[in-house]
Amino acid sequence: MLRKITMLTLIGVMLFGMAAFAVEINFWHAHSTRHQENLQALVDAFHAEFPDITVNLTYQGGYGDLEAKIGAAVVAGGLPTVAQVYENWVTPIQEILYPIGNFMTVAEVDDIIDGLVSSNTYNGILTTVPFNKSIMVLYYREDLVPVPPATWEEYLAMSAALTTADEDGDGYPDFFGTGFRPVNPELFLNFLENAGGSILNEDWSEVTINNSAGLIAGEFVEAIAPYSFITNEYMSNHFPLKLAMFVDTSAGYYYNNQAAVGGDVVMKVARVPAGAVSQGSMIQGTNLAIFDTGDITKEQKDAAIDFVKFLIRADNQVFWAKRSGYQPVVKSAYETQEWIDYVAANDY
Amino acid sequence: MARIRSSRYYFYRQSSTRGILYILLFAGSAIMLLPFLWMLTTSLKSEAAVLQMPPQWIPTEWRWSNYPLAWNTAPFARYFFNSFFMSAMTTIGEVIFTIFAAYAFAKMKFLGKNVLFTLLLGTLMIPGQMLLIPNFVTITRLGWLDTYWALIIPWLASVFAIFLLRQFFRSLPDELWDSARMDGCGRFRFLWRIMVPLAKPAIVTVAILKFIGGWNAYLWVLVMTNSELMRTVPVGLKSFSSEVGTQYELLMAASVLAILPILILYFFTQKQFIKSFARTGIK
Repeated sequence: MLRKITMLTLIGVMLFGMAAFAVEINFWHAHSTRHQENLQALVDAFHAEFPDITVNLTYQGGYGDLEAKIGAAVVAGGLPTVAQVYENWVTPIQEILYPIGNFMTVAEVDDIIDGLVSSNTYNGILTTVPFNKSIMVLYYREDLVPVPPATWEEYLAMSAALTTADEDGDGYPDFFGTGFRPVNPELFLNFLENAGGSILNEDWSEVTINNSAGLIAGEFVEAIAPYSFITNEYMSNHFPLKLAMFVDTSAGYYYNNQAAVGGDVVMKVARVPAGAVSQGSMIQGTNLAIFDTGDITKEQKDAAIDFVKFLIRADNQVFWAKRSGYQPVVKSAYETQEWIDYVAANDY
Repeated sequence: MARIRSSRYYFYRQSSTRGILYILLFAGSAIMLLPFLWMLTTSLKSEAAVLQMPPQWIPTEWRWSNYPLAWNTAPFARYFFNSFFMSAMTTIGEVIFTIFAAYAFAKMKFLGKNVLFTLLLGTLMIPGQMLLIPNFVTITRLGWLDTYWALIIPWLASVFAIFLLRQFFRSLPDELWDSARMDGCGRFRFLWRIMVPLAKPAIVTVAILKFIGGWNAYLWVLVMTNSELMRTVPVGLKSFSSEVGTQYELLMAASVLAILPILILYFFTQKQFIKSFARTGIK
């Protein structure tokens, strides 16, 4: 009897101790709908693995809303422990960020995709880490595009051939060969890069867009524009009724595919057509930042480090990528059998 | 000599005029109801059917499961409670404060009354978006961020409502106060026993507009709250939209649920509803 009481007392003290020492961190994110469900699943798995850490997942609206909230919180206080951030949001607030790279091993840093390490490094310090990264891909209707264009020349020719006349008199073709989303300068960067150009030189001291590569990219955009449906709206609102193919983020695959199913067509995905020099795609998406302000304790920052490392771990990146259309941000994820099997089973 | 027409002529003329009127009203009603019909039918469609062309007005597959699915996507029970609590508290508070302020500006004399009223009206010229960041800083420094205080206190007064009620109070004759005063009635009692009952239509207008405004509040709630437990229904509806796509069928299901309380309010206060909007000139 005494032994039972002692055991129960010890268990109670242990549970109380765990609760008392449980750390709570706040994670502000901009994922809703299906992405939020997947993120919640990751957080639930994290809780199972780290029972003494509680992550409060809070949706703060779209990226614009999240940026505004972070900006307001920087001024007025109330920053979370972790938040999704874009690179340009970080530049003015580096001083209040907890440099995640300082708490990662060399192997862990080397595992991150090379280009993503440099884009998360500020003043030589790996301050943030990549999380949800998407690439631009070419979605197309298989019935109208049996073989996707591999080069800019093919892309231009196909787009022109598939574009119909303006029969309804609204000043635009009734059906477009191709489309682009979103309408921002980033999309042009893709063309510039594939033409062998860059906006800035190596040390960022000079603008280099006005050279032969920039001209090639600009001329291609000018040539394909008349056959392009260009919008900031969801492409799924217009596909497949209004266009045969379009360039959009890989993270939009689910919604675009639903539109295809609704329109009774088969949608396929291909790499963006190759330019004169390369066939790359720009990488979009946010990174994870840990804040280092007076009201965030050391224990919370340490817990946040564990959380961030968990999210970018290979198995979790594969889980996230399979369900979202984002791309794994660590090299080891691409070597897992689960990812290899997934890619083999899904030709896109 | 004036032509005398038969009563049958006048009957046919009146009937045809009325018939044309009803046709026009029916057509106008149909156009106004179309978005609601679309919302309702979309809320019962599958994901693929939502964007189908030509559009499905009647779903071929009825997805009643969209409603529980939408309800469970976010803590909507809490959102509805917060929306109702915030709308009710701000409505009650605004009505009380508006009555006092409007009466003072309408019937009482005090130093600087006109200057003060002009300044108040001047605040209507400032876009709300300009005040968002300063208000956020104020709310944060008061320690009200992510609390009901932030959602309720700043909205307990409305210059527009004060103006509306002031104009109504001014239309009531001063002789009422004179005779009440002669009978020994004080200001407070006169206000609540005589002026308020007479101003009931205007007060109901203020209350209805405030409740609807509070129910629909989005940006303020989004900025002033950080946790899910403090959010309201309009902010909750954002859960169905993302940077890359929207789950329209769930969004419409949640929207149907979101407008139900306003619809119920409307059915119980139809006459006051219509008079309110007519009085303010707001469509």
